[in-house]
Amino acid sequence: MKYLTPFRWGRRNLPAGREFEAHPLDVFQREMNRLFDDFFKGSDLRPWAEEMEALGAFNPQVNMTEDDKSITVSAELPGMDEKDIEISLSKDSLTIKGEKKEENEQKGKESYYMERSYGSFTRVLPIPKEVNTEKAEASFKRGVLTITLPKLEREKQSQKKIKIKAD
Amino acid sequence: MADTTKNLEKAPAQETALAERTKDRPVFMPPVDIIEDANNLYIYADMPGADEKGVNITLENDVLSIEAQVAEVNFDKHTTTYAEYGIGDYRRAFTLNESFDRDKIEAKMKNGVLSIVLPKSEAVRTRSIPIKAG
Repeated sequence: MKYLTPFRWGRRNLPAGREFEAHPLDVFQREMNRLFDDFFKGSDLRPWAEEMEALGAFNPQVNMTEDDKSITVSAELPGMDEKDIEISLSKDSLTIKGEKKEENEQKGKESYYMERSYGSFTRVLPIPKEVNTEKAEASFKRGVLTITLPKLEREKQSQKKIKIKAD
Repeated sequence: MADTTKNLEKAPAQETALAERTKDRPVFMPPVDIIEDANNLYIYADMPGADEKGVNITLENDVLSIEAQVAEVNFDKHTTTYAEYGIGDYRRAFTLNESFDRDKIEAKMKNGVLSIVLPKSEAVRTRSIPIKAG
């Protein structure tokens, strides 16, 4: 490839530590690739997650499990208080909202590591089955939020085993 | 922008040359904030799922290690439909290069965050020296 791009010949010989300017075509190609990659990233339940994470914003991760009676959604929210978490439930989506505040005042202090993330977040999760919104329960323990959504009666019955008859 | 990237996904713990693990579950490296003021060093570690009973903090030869066991979450007959995070234990170690008052180290676990306060020993504390007018 290098031989096809005469404008880059000899660029390798630059002294170490000096950044050479990227060719505009390279930049353009990278941008195009990124555009297509982003476009075809598929259905993510966390739209903009990568962009948010790049900024260091807090975006909790969730797990969802299911059995024949209920759906359980759990989210890791370390350092949060149950008072700071707001959960709302509609027919087909569950919204977890909150703000994780920095607990320590930075005045007169020097920080060495800042790996934990803070900020407000909103997660909207689609619920795959119809649930009884009246009987939903949530608990917050050890920094993990667990929400239990009981399935509706007819949803329970809708999964029916079909027997195969032998001839 | 790339320099400010924070990884929000749980990172696997770096294997130290300690004993091999016999439990079949992942070990994560908890993200930490380390902050210093004139008298103390503060360490905050995010370890959701762990409580004070499962945490083990040791200070040996200037190496402070944090280990936390997470209680097994067992949903009978539940199947995972969607997962963004893994459940596992936490481990991380730090080398301290200052002397701390070992008897006064305090640790507390609240809402999945471990906070450790290491008081600096008398000898290394920064002191402001008043200047007398001549």
